[in-house]
Amino acid sequence: MKEKLELCEVEHVANLARIELTEEEKDQYAIDLKKLLNEVEKISEIKNYDEELLITPVEHTVSLRKDENKRTISFNEIKKNIPKSSGNFVEVPVMLHE
Amino acid sequence: MNRDYQVTAGAEVHCELKSKTKMFSDSYNNYGTMANTNINEIDFAYPGTLPTVNGYAVELALKASLALNCKINKKMHFDRKNYFYPDLPKGYQITQARSPIGTDGYLEIEIDGITKKIGIHDIHIEEDTSKSTHYKEKSFLDFNRNGVPLIEIVSEPDIKSDKEMVAYLEKLRETLLYLNVSDCKIEEGSMRCDVNVSVSKTETLGTRTETKNVGSIHSAGMVVLVEAKRQIEELEKGNKIQEETRRYDEKENKTTLMRIKEVGNDYRYFPEPDIPFLILEDSEIERVRENLEVLPDARRKTYLEKGISLGNANKLIQNKQLSDFLLNLEDIDLVIASNLLLGDISAYLNKTEKTLKETKLTQEKLKDLVKKLSSGEITNKVFKEILTELMETEFSVQEIISSKGIETINDKSYLIEIVNKIIEGNKNSVDDYKSGKDRAIKYLMGQIMKETKGSANPSLVNQLLLEELSKR
Repeated sequence: MKEKLELCEVEHVANLARIELTEEEKDQYAIDLKKLLNEVEKISEIKNYDEELLITPVEHTVSLRKDENKRTISFNEIKKNIPKSSGNFVEVPVMLHE
Repeated sequence: MNRDYQVTAGAEVHCELKSKTKMFSDSYNNYGTMANTNINEIDFAYPGTLPTVNGYAVELALKASLALNCKINKKMHFDRKNYFYPDLPKGYQITQARSPIGTDGYLEIEIDGITKKIGIHDIHIEEDTSKSTHYKEKSFLDFNRNGVPLIEIVSEPDIKSDKEMVAYLEKLRETLLYLNVSDCKIEEGSMRCDVNVSVSKTETLGTRTETKNVGSIHSAGMVVLVEAKRQIEELEKGNKIQEETRRYDEKENKTTLMRIKEVGNDYRYFPEPDIPFLILEDSEIERVRENLEVLPDARRKTYLEKGISLGNANKLIQNKQLSDFLLNLEDIDLVIASNLLLGDISAYLNKTEKTLKETKLTQEKLKDLVKKLSSGEITNKVFKEILTELMETEFSVQEIISSKGIETINDKSYLIEIVNKIIEGNKNSVDDYKSGKDRAIKYLMGQIMKETKGSANPSLVNQLLLEELSKR
């Protein structure tokens, strides 16, 4: 198993996550991210197909919410986190070409 | 159409549930408000937000499942259906892929007097996506719809014709409306329908196509017709039918290709880890079952038993507010009550653009009115005169009649006087009656009613007239 990611892989992930990294941070992430991936790979070694479906490791069931409004936020709040808006709409590049 | 082929169709119907808030967030579920006003952090999938399950939406889905005769899944979980698209910022839709709330149900339809069961494969709960509008090189998103609770009702491929498709969808819509589960407004998108069609010469089903987002129930019937025709023509030319998604063009009355279904379309379904198992207790299921609204079939049966014509029974069913108004009023003359509701009262509602709830007419008032009309205590003419007051004031039927001075005359001695006056003045008609011309009695009745300005109790007048005539 490799011990670190390629630098270009770290840069690609940073770009997707829209974060800027210094050269030192890139070196550190190359090691840290690979460690994480190695942990995830261990999951594929587990064979548990016959066991009952496990959703959460704790034994509790969902509590249902009352049909009541408690929180609404304004579109102005949302605007802080979206690249572009138009009137009251979120604007994105066209998704469908007819 | 080529009779060698058997047409097979099925429907996948999405219905928005009539809850106040969304499925997994507590922002409002409101149609028609300004874009992006019914929203919170969960709808936009802010980091760290978690879904909570709307108990009332689950109850509505349970109601639909019970009314459609489904087996209820007492231990459910939700799944993530992953796809990348701006209308779904989480990157997945929460749905029920493996443990739908209802399975193996059916809905009975009737065509030309023959009853047929259409199987319901399953009913599952899921959340709606944002509404997108496309213009030139831009798309605009409204997140008000994001997270609105939906049920998807998947039928078995039991539908064999356009007529059956229309009957199935109409019955389904009627049932869900009566359950108060959904508005079922196709034009507003609260009911959306995908139609699957295949044709085959053998018992093995042919390759099916799916026609998405059909705009009306009538169009869904047309899709069965034109899509089956197209497939048969293709097969007869020696071509193969591909599994594909199509759309229906109402103007041209034909379906056109949207996209070929990708092989192994992989949504990477996996259990939603943020929502633990949802358990439905037997007591809860029974509570909902016992409180299910009276469904159209049961209402229709009562109406027919009470002597209402099939035409009027169907008119009542089509107008839920009128039908609801008659609930628990089975002890009055329902024929008179339905005639009032479908006649002058409906005309009043249309004219004033009001709903029954917006008027002052109560069930008690209607009950009183029907009793007075059936006993002859008031005439139809009097009813017409007091209609506006009945609908617009808190006064009782009796109070309105008294205040207007239009009480029905029930005074026997006074009426006998008038009856005799008319008999004396219309000797020819009396002779006609005596010689067996029954129509003469109608004329005499008319004269008496005219003399009393329509306020005499007609059944009493009829009785007195016959008595006085027999003395001559």
